[in-house]
Amino acid sequence: MSADLSVTIGSLKLRGPVLAASGTFGYGTEVPLLERRGLAAMVSKGIFLRPRAGTPPPRIVETPSGMLNAIGLQGPGADALIRDYAPQWAGWDFPVVVNINGESAAEYAELTARLDGVPGVAGFEINISCPNVEQGGLYFGNDPRAAASVTDAVRKRTKLPVWVKLTPMVTDIGVIARAVESAGADALCAVNTFVGMSIDLNAHMPRLSFRTGGLSGPAIRPLAVHLAHQAARAVSIPVLGVGGIMRAEDALEFLVAGCAAVQVGTATFVNPRAIVEVHEGIASYMESHNLGSLAELPRYLPRD
Amino acid sequence: MFLLSAPITARREVARGMWVLSMTAPEIATSVRAGQFVNLGWSPGPLLRRPFSVYRVDGDRIEVVLKAVGVGTAQLLAMRPGDRISCLGPLGRGFDLPAGPGRAVLISGGLGVAPMPLAAREAMALGMRVTWVHGARSADELCSETEGDEVIWATDDGSRGSVGTAVVAAPDAELVLACGPNRMLAAVAQRWPQALVAVEAYMGCGTGVCLGCAVPLKRGGYDRACKEGPVYRAADIDWPMLPAHLPYAVNA
Repeated sequence: MSADLSVTIGSLKLRGPVLAASGTFGYGTEVPLLERRGLAAMVSKGIFLRPRAGTPPPRIVETPSGMLNAIGLQGPGADALIRDYAPQWAGWDFPVVVNINGESAAEYAELTARLDGVPGVAGFEINISCPNVEQGGLYFGNDPRAAASVTDAVRKRTKLPVWVKLTPMVTDIGVIARAVESAGADALCAVNTFVGMSIDLNAHMPRLSFRTGGLSGPAIRPLAVHLAHQAARAVSIPVLGVGGIMRAEDALEFLVAGCAAVQVGTATFVNPRAIVEVHEGIASYMESHNLGSLAELPRYLPRD
Repeated sequence: MFLLSAPITARREVARGMWVLSMTAPEIATSVRAGQFVNLGWSPGPLLRRPFSVYRVDGDRIEVVLKAVGVGTAQLLAMRPGDRISCLGPLGRGFDLPAGPGRAVLISGGLGVAPMPLAAREAMALGMRVTWVHGARSADELCSETEGDEVIWATDDGSRGSVGTAVVAAPDAELVLACGPNRMLAAVAQRWPQALVAVEAYMGCGTGVCLGCAVPLKRGGYDRACKEGPVYRAADIDWPMLPAHLPYAVNA
């Protein structure tokens, strides 16, 4: 008898706890070799209302156990998403949550209104934590009032699930977590990339054209587990853990630390089958520990 | 596209410090086209895979060519026959060759030999007469293996063939293919805007999802070296915006 790996995030029922993280799976039409049964849901590449070219290369650089990226949210804009991708998503057997971006709360709201009700769009992940855009992004994620105002603006435009992706670049993630929970978020995603820099010692310049980038990969995992745990302790809505998950054991750390589900990102770049392997590894762990469902997984989540 | 655990079968040195690594990858060997690449991962190794053009195909084996330019490539060269490499491919769009007859000139600089043996064979199979112009800094850095009907050498120091770059040494032709440092390809673009060039770029996934390998286009915007590339019409690239030097992850 295999374990029940289904989870419920607010009103969204998922067949497993492993999701594809935004920006690491495109719009779901590219990733090869992945058996979809292991994929609970996909969060799309971040989208703005209007098309964006993204940053000039170099956009990525590998660092010890991780990578820095500054893609700059290259994307085709809402109209192209609705025309080219959403119709495909509508036929898939897992939900697609759209990662939404804006330069103002009003722009987030307008984008939400545009996408709300489009077949194939199952929910929204508000990105208030992208380090690689000049306007918006991280600014909203640093300030509890700004974070709440964006969340509120999106919440008012849709009845679909609204998740908020938090930045690790804060003094107390619990403050931001509580602010967006109060503003109506259904779940939190913790965490986005850490801002980092790498220097080219021949050019005496940053290696990335954007100067800084977002650090992801195993290098950030213990930091991310801690922040996701802090967020989970601060709120009563579900937290999706994300940051450096490469294997099932990594995902289980986030789950035991209080997360309801996880997102796998950078691992997919390395191994196109990473998501399904993490899913299967969690199933094996559950069986070997005689756990019938994820609800039975012991959690370390002391309440103050 | 296939994801294979490919055992290394052999390696040989084809120029000073330049090695050809063979591995058994049957599905890739039978489907790869000239200019396509494989994204290789190994353990212990760097986090991200490393992209390599497929150099030759021999039965169920594929070959790649590399130099130890960083920690990762040094690890790859320290591996022994029987050791396994995770091999993802074939990836990207290769050279889209028009049907012959005619003359094809293949221009390679240094490690830019990588896609040329397959390109030479495909061009000859289409009925073209193939001239391969290969350049390096000095004679000992020239690749010792050649393909095609005619080979022209060029070295910076004149120790073999003509003095100067392969671009200068190359004759005109209906079809020009080139691979090498991006600076060299920019020179190709000036002389032959219609040339087909295989660019190098920092690459993350190799499958089109990370958008890391952005290639700036003349018409504006970017596309992906791993998906729409790595082969482009030379005139389509915004050369000044393409990084000229790629010290690939030297600290990783």
